[in-house]
Amino acid sequence: MSPNDTKAESSGYQRVVLKNASPHHYLKVRLLLEDETCRVSSVELKSFIITCLKGLHGEVGAALDVGVLKYEEETLTALLRVQSRGLVKLWSSLTLQGSYQNQACAFRVLQVSHQRNLC
Amino acid sequence: MSVFMDLNLLFCADRKRLQSLVETAANLGFSTVAINYVFEPKAKKKQEVPSPVPISELIGQLPVVQGRSRPIRVLNRLTVVMSEANHFRPNATEYRPFDLLAVQPTTEKLFHAACLLCDVDIVCISVMEKLPFIFKRAPVNGAIDRGVVFEVSYAAAIRDSTMRRYTIANAVSLMESCKGKNVIISSAAEKALEIRGPYDITNLGLLFGLSLADSKEAVSSTCRAVLLHAETRKTASGIIYTMKKQQQQEEEQDAAGCDAPAAKRPKQT
Repeated sequence: MSPNDTKAESSGYQRVVLKNASPHHYLKVRLLLEDETCRVSSVELKSFIITCLKGLHGEVGAALDVGVLKYEEETLTALLRVQSRGLVKLWSSLTLQGSYQNQACAFRVLQVSHQRNLC
Repeated sequence: MSVFMDLNLLFCADRKRLQSLVETAANLGFSTVAINYVFEPKAKKKQEVPSPVPISELIGQLPVVQGRSRPIRVLNRLTVVMSEANHFRPNATEYRPFDLLAVQPTTEKLFHAACLLCDVDIVCISVMEKLPFIFKRAPVNGAIDRGVVFEVSYAAAIRDSTMRRYTIANAVSLMESCKGKNVIISSAAEKALEIRGPYDITNLGLLFGLSLADSKEAVSSTCRAVLLHAETRKTASGIIYTMKKQQQQEEEQDAAGCDAPAAKRPKQT
């Protein structure tokens, strides 16, 4: 390996210090479905997430402002943004969701961060 | 940092499904899992205690844990569902091959006995029904002093919304009396899609009324404490451990085979 290569591959870690608590948290999630050929559009995903929230936390949960910032339909991977105080609610409702349109499903939370560029 | 464990994967005869369960757990970052055999004695007829299938036969090549480059550790665990006091037999030889021993009491009296008297590692909290009794401080504190832990499993909460209500209600009422100490959260999963990652479970613990530190411990260091407690069960308070030496047996057999029994039988003379 030449020295240039090592320079290009700088360590993937960076230390970020925030003076104030950040207003949002970002979650990178992947939806696993029993039927792997099933397609889910971004609109369907968003409405599914709101259903999850409503199922566990009721209307108060459904009122949380969740944004789908990025979505890859092939891998079913999405980047979600949520207010920091709603993180626990959103995360727990994704964890406890077990079915999507009568088939088993699971949300795998890949990364959680308070900085968008880290996800 | 302590490693993550999931001490409850339900045993099923389907070997492929069990393999996919263990593989998923390893992928999610669990370094130790336990395969759970549930034994439910009925009132009338006598039933056999299940005997564990050897791990190597069950799974074969153990999958590597995500991020630790080490194969996953798989244990055997027996859960006895107690509906009468004599269902749990102390010192039964059938319990010996299991690494972990758990009971699931169904009445307040049995819960009291399980916490204070039974020589077990885990007391399971029912999540399938509304609790028929409330957790009293005395047995819970006694269990904490003895190092017995309480287990809440979450797979039922994923399957059904009514069970979810019961799971959360029972867990919250347990946390009120034990104040977050000696609690483990495990999956009790039958399918691979019912297992959740360790950090998801930590977050779920917040919903059950645990603090962040306690819920992290519920998937890591408390589980390790259970394993150590289970090891002391087999030994004399964890100080002395006795085992049969295979070689000696063979020698005795050889000795019995040849004609020198008089010296070997001091008790008869």
